[in-house]
Amino acid sequence: MSVPGITEPTEAIARARAGDAEAWGELYRDYAPAIFRFSRRALPTREDAEDATMEIFMKLKDKLVQYDATRSFSAWLYKVAANHCWDMLRRRKIRQDKETDDLENVPLEHPDPSQLDMLIEQRTSEEVRRALDKLGGRARMALVMRYYSDMSYDEIADALGVRRAFVGVVLLRARHELRQALEGNAALAAGGA
Amino acid sequence: MSEMSNKKMKHLDEMTLLLYIERQLDRARGLEVSAHTQECDTCRTLLRALERESRLLTRAMLEEDEPLPSRLAQFQERARKSMQWIWGLVFGLAATGAYALYTGYILPWQQQLEQAGFGGSNLLGLLIFQGAMWKGWQSMITFLEVLAMVTLAGLGAVFFRRRIRRGSVLALVFAGFCTVLALPAPVTATEFRKGGTAEVRKDETVKGDIYMNGQHARIDGTVDGDAYVFCQQFDMNGHVTGDVIAFSQSSHIKGQIDGNLRSFNNNTTITGTVGKSAMLFNEVVTVDADAKIGRSFTVFAEGLNLDGNVGRDALLFFAHANLSGKIGGGVRAKGDSLEIGSAAVIEGPVKFDGNKAAEVSPGAKLASPVEFKQTQHKHTYREGSYYIWQVIWAAAFILFGLVLFALMPKFSQDAVKSAEQYGAAAGLGVLVLFGVPIAACIACITVVGLFIGVSTLFLWYASLYVAQLIVGAVIGQWLMGRTNELWPFIGRMTVGLILLRLCTTIPHVGGWVKFAAILWGIGAISLALYRRFQPVIAPGLPSAPHTPPIPPNTTVGGALPA
Repeated sequence: MSVPGITEPTEAIARARAGDAEAWGELYRDYAPAIFRFSRRALPTREDAEDATMEIFMKLKDKLVQYDATRSFSAWLYKVAANHCWDMLRRRKIRQDKETDDLENVPLEHPDPSQLDMLIEQRTSEEVRRALDKLGGRARMALVMRYYSDMSYDEIADALGVRRAFVGVVLLRARHELRQALEGNAALAAGGA
Repeated sequence: MSEMSNKKMKHLDEMTLLLYIERQLDRARGLEVSAHTQECDTCRTLLRALERESRLLTRAMLEEDEPLPSRLAQFQERARKSMQWIWGLVFGLAATGAYALYTGYILPWQQQLEQAGFGGSNLLGLLIFQGAMWKGWQSMITFLEVLAMVTLAGLGAVFFRRRIRRGSVLALVFAGFCTVLALPAPVTATEFRKGGTAEVRKDETVKGDIYMNGQHARIDGTVDGDAYVFCQQFDMNGHVTGDVIAFSQSSHIKGQIDGNLRSFNNNTTITGTVGKSAMLFNEVVTVDADAKIGRSFTVFAEGLNLDGNVGRDALLFFAHANLSGKIGGGVRAKGDSLEIGSAAVIEGPVKFDGNKAAEVSPGAKLASPVEFKQTQHKHTYREGSYYIWQVIWAAAFILFGLVLFALMPKFSQDAVKSAEQYGAAAGLGVLVLFGVPIAACIACITVVGLFIGVSTLFLWYASLYVAQLIVGAVIGQWLMGRTNELWPFIGRMTVGLILLRLCTTIPHVGGWVKFAAILWGIGAISLALYRRFQPVIAPGLPSAPHTPPIPPNTTVGGALPA
């Protein structure tokens, strides 16, 4: 997990840890756009995303000493961002009742493959982003962690506070919600083959 | 694979296929899925649809659909530099501003008022500008100022620690405000006269407004404008074509005022003419037989003697009053005792709310008998009408909220969201609730800022009501869940507001609930306003370097390697 075109900022991290404001600025310049986009996808409003980005980088200043330099900085940074955004959502009680339902109750039948194919074919990225805004906090968070920042199932489980075995269920359920939001057709999302 | 055999085959579930494309299955299960999808058309189609869905999701998320907001871009620029010196400058300016505020406005004002004789111990005479009460008020202002500044400093410290950008903006705004205060007062058309005796001589004409302060102020000549007077003894023997606003221990109006008279004095005697209305906050008011007040007469005083002529209605609050002059309209009076002398002529109805009935001399000419109402001293919440009024008020609030939320749905939502940032909203609430009226009053007394000051006070007053609507909406959302749609949002506001109003009717506690709601709501409004005025897009700024985020791992198909 790394940012293309940007090598691991080992030197900048070392300098930032030593209190070099210039180095911290370099880290911000290189990674803030990606973290803003992450927050923008994960949180309900642009203002929230702006706040979150600044707060994540302020938090980063304190947490930088905890970073294990042998691991990917980007991956670690996304983990910090994910935890922060999920905390924000939880604090605001955005989690809806449906998100606290028993995860094991998710229907696991086939959707109609051809209808699903058609739905995917017809939708644009813009429509998907708009549909994402309609999802519950956990569903959106799970999709963003998985498909934006490529976090592992273990990391997602850790961030969301669910068992690893349920991460797949959370993701599948999020996809179903997304399809419903895209189509408004519950039958497509939950329909049988 | 034929359709028949396809029907016989048990299909894989969607979960298994998702885990397969996400490479989350063990090798053996992965191989099974791979083999199945090669034979089963239905599962293969679904697998491909899921893969396409993954790609669509990734593409939608990674696309750069909006630039980095200017707030973050600026934060980025700032982050590269050490901010220590700027903060030193900011707090240096703030300290300078605070000192200038005190030495430039508060201290001289205090000295002028002391010179003007506001050092006595009378209670009612000037309501707030005199005696012990004034001293208390002054102490309160000082206390509130300190409180506002401490709050601001605290907020600055918190923001500095956690949010460089916001903290610095607040601090810069504060420093700017203080710097403006520290600047010399701008030159205006108003003429200033100071000294032991500030006067306009008999043969003199002042074109425009005049501001006078000193031990003794005299106007013997003509002022072609308004006169603002701060002094111990004020004598008005001349002619003022505009209004007279006087703060003094003793005022004697012998001349002619074409406009209105507003006085905040220990005692005022009027023997001349006031063309329009007179509003007096005094201990003792005397209107001599020769005096004329063209329009209405409003008095808050301990003692009132009215022998002169009032053109229209009189609104009087007093301890003791004697009316022996002519009043062209009605009288509405509230006080301890009222005497109406034999020379009195009152052409309208007289309503008196007092402790004992008015003593009316037989010679007095009244349009109708005095309507007397004994002052009641009981708790209003024991009366049914109190609750009826509460219902009316609640309905008015809801109507107001409906109009406001319908006109400004986005701002209302923003304010409600801001209210959920409890700390920031409460902190700003303290600052705005106390700081704004102080700043507005300071603006008012600088004369130049009278319009700005009064407008700000009006807005501040209106925000006290809006604040309760915002808090009502927050409570409604707590109970009924969030919504972004207008009418459900208004519904939540209505429910929350009703609960809030119910809480405010609880004896003894209700007042505090209301205060807390106003504090919280006003902070939320301020926070929403602050955010609204933040620039969102920075067209002039160079765009942030393109830094695509981590590539997604959407590898399609295949089991994990052994």
